[in-house]
Amino acid sequence: MKTNTHEPGRWRCFSRRTALAAFGAAIGTAMTVTGFSFPANAQEKTVVMAIEGEPGQLDPHTHALWLTYREVYLMFESFTQQDLSVSDVEIPPIKPALAESWEVSEDGTVYIFHLRQGVTFHDGTPWNAEAAKFNFDRVLNRDFEYFYELAYNFNTWWHQDIESYEAVDEYTFRINLKQPNSEFLRRISMGGFGSAGMLSPESVKQWGNEDVSLHPVGTGPFKFVERVVNEKIVMERNADYWDPQRVPRIDRLIIRGIPDAATRELALLTGEVDIIATPTPDSVEYIQGQGMNVIMAPVPTIYLMWINFKQKPLDDVRVRQALYMAIDREGLCTYLRRGQCLPAYSILNFGGPGHDPAYQPMPYDPERAKELLVEAGYPDGFEVRVDWTPGGAGDVATVADAEWIKRDWARIGVDLKIEIFEISTYMQQMNKGMREGTGFMQLSWGENAFHWLDASISPAALPPNGFNAGFYDNPKVGELLAAARAATSEEEMLAKLHELQTVVIEEDTAFIPTHSPLGVYAMNPSITGFVLPPQHWTDLTLIDKTQ
Amino acid sequence: MWRFAGIRTLHAIPVLIGVTFVVFGSLQLVPGDIANTLLSMFYTEERGEALRAQLGLDKPMLVQYAIWVWNLLHGDLGQSLMLRQPVAEVLLDKIGNSLILTGASLLIVIPVSFILGTTAARRFRTATDRSIVFFAMLLASLPVFWLGIVLLYLLGVNIKWFPMSGMYNMANPGGFPDLIHHLVLPAVTTAATSVAIVTRVTRGALIDTLGQPYILSARARGLSDFRVTYRHGVRNVMPTFANMCGLQIGYLFGGAIFTEIIFNWPGIGLLLYNAILQRDVPMVQGCILAIAVVFVLANLLADIIVYGLDVRRR
Repeated sequence: MKTNTHEPGRWRCFSRRTALAAFGAAIGTAMTVTGFSFPANAQEKTVVMAIEGEPGQLDPHTHALWLTYREVYLMFESFTQQDLSVSDVEIPPIKPALAESWEVSEDGTVYIFHLRQGVTFHDGTPWNAEAAKFNFDRVLNRDFEYFYELAYNFNTWWHQDIESYEAVDEYTFRINLKQPNSEFLRRISMGGFGSAGMLSPESVKQWGNEDVSLHPVGTGPFKFVERVVNEKIVMERNADYWDPQRVPRIDRLIIRGIPDAATRELALLTGEVDIIATPTPDSVEYIQGQGMNVIMAPVPTIYLMWINFKQKPLDDVRVRQALYMAIDREGLCTYLRRGQCLPAYSILNFGGPGHDPAYQPMPYDPERAKELLVEAGYPDGFEVRVDWTPGGAGDVATVADAEWIKRDWARIGVDLKIEIFEISTYMQQMNKGMREGTGFMQLSWGENAFHWLDASISPAALPPNGFNAGFYDNPKVGELLAAARAATSEEEMLAKLHELQTVVIEEDTAFIPTHSPLGVYAMNPSITGFVLPPQHWTDLTLIDKTQ
Repeated sequence: MWRFAGIRTLHAIPVLIGVTFVVFGSLQLVPGDIANTLLSMFYTEERGEALRAQLGLDKPMLVQYAIWVWNLLHGDLGQSLMLRQPVAEVLLDKIGNSLILTGASLLIVIPVSFILGTTAARRFRTATDRSIVFFAMLLASLPVFWLGIVLLYLLGVNIKWFPMSGMYNMANPGGFPDLIHHLVLPAVTTAATSVAIVTRVTRGALIDTLGQPYILSARARGLSDFRVTYRHGVRNVMPTFANMCGLQIGYLFGGAIFTEIIFNWPGIGLLLYNAILQRDVPMVQGCILAIAVVFVLANLLADIIVYGLDVRRR
């Protein structure tokens, strides 16, 4: 008994000490990690924007995803830029940026850019033809000290036709193309998966090719301040920006990646953030009811279904047409997506070249679809599998889309089995081509140039060399895409693209476009001046915040 | 005790080696490879070969594994594809944030489940006991993501008592009090299931103990109910309680993944979630490895502490 009464004492003592130590350690860790920070100056206008996920590396030449280009776009510029201050256009117009003007030779193969004078990078390095050459060398010149393999590979979509380039004098830069490129000026103004944005040569020399993305230095209207991965990217206004129209009205811009849509929406309602991208269709009404402003407009996004040409009975064009016609796209947009989308009937997406809103070659017609199936020898329909993904950052409610299509197809007797994959496995599967037994895969894409078609529908993109996951092999498609790119006039380019549309949709029905969700942003009423152009990224120099 | 600690630590080593196998192997199971992921839509055989050679992916798998483990032992987990930053650097930062959340949840689990568990056992088969059991069952069956969103909506949005995302106020960071304020909701959410589990086990163990003859003799000597329960009964339940709490560390750390996504807590769970969405394979690998290692270490630590607490083994 004696030992027993003694032991509890020790035990108690130990427990108390442990508890104290644990508590102390927890507080201690928290304090060290936290540090103490002081409130920022209240006079400063700080805007916090929450986007759909964590951006990637902030290198203009090797960034990936539109999420990342939203920030890269604000810090880096190319020779040309897109005017994102207007929303009521089909495609944002091209205007001068780091080049004040340019001349294009008659045959469309020589571009001479006259560079803007008196511009400096955020670190004080002057912008001139030498700096431009440094950037082109980093991407294209294998003998250059700072050549970056990844940058070369990421940017083929805009540099594939470049033969040579040179700094003619301090403010003149010449690019020679192997063949005309009808979209060259537009492509060098874009981003999302590499871009022609100009980095400060000094910053690359200081940090090296890899680490320079941690210290991004460009010429853009916003300057990089700091980044805490998974928490925030902080930028401040560049008061010395060359275009007085685009000097930011706000002092600081903080970008947060919040992947969960519900959290993003609630963070807006509680005032923790000022602007959010992509609330879910179902919550828009609620957010508006809480006094927030919601801005929506069409953007170049398009949801397409790839079709497996190796899978019976999908090798029969009548079957493909029947499936194309059996989807009630209007209904999907009106009911499922609450009016926040446009039906899509073509591979030429809204906001891209050649888009025709009236194009509707095979409207919704389940009766005719059924007849086509009978003609093809499937009066009782058939069973087929689709591989689907909830998508990456920025995709909302896509699984519901699959269920909508399943219901529509059930009406013509086609039984759709849906299998869901996370985005990573899914994308690699697309690269390898569809697995046996899978009839369809679906993905969102769409740009305001047509280079993405080279990587998705052209025979050059057949697996494993691209995203033509359904093995659609029509040489005519490759020829038309090449001809559209090599066109020397816009009319010629559009004519080729329209021909392409006829081949892919009407003759082959090789893809089933379904819909283009609108771009949706919600913001606190204190935010003014927000413009949503037909683009995946927006010009945040235009916004202001009233107290 | 030190001998026990040493042996248990040695036992953890094969487990950790197994973990590295699984984590490395999982990359091999994914269709395609890093070159494929990196180039995404713009992948071609030719570009893929060039990049693979640059990244050392053209070597045999066992050689790659050896290199990977060698680098791992030097604290090098590779480069994040999306951030082009060393994975280890990013991870270290985020593990700290997750441990803060785990620690705070544990500080809720220990007192709450202790009080609930012992109270229920003392009042065995009374209304108090039944309501505690019911409450525990309710907590255990609420999915973390659901509870998180409900708490967030009620206490973060409706009555604005707590902030609902992140660790600090972004526009106007406020230091340590700000952190505690941000910590409440995620910590409560993470703790919920563990509170239920520990409460029920503690209650069960204590009811058992209170049925022992020596408790009866203590009662017969006229000791107060409180004294019998807490001085004689609880003391014998303590190792079980400590063991359960120790096991919960790993569970809380893992469960924090969901909480982190809902509350946008910048820890390892959110990092993993973002990495998966962006196909950042080395980062996913690093996160899984880190979670597995913390899990193993937490259990190791719990075992040693429980051993140390158990007077019979001294």
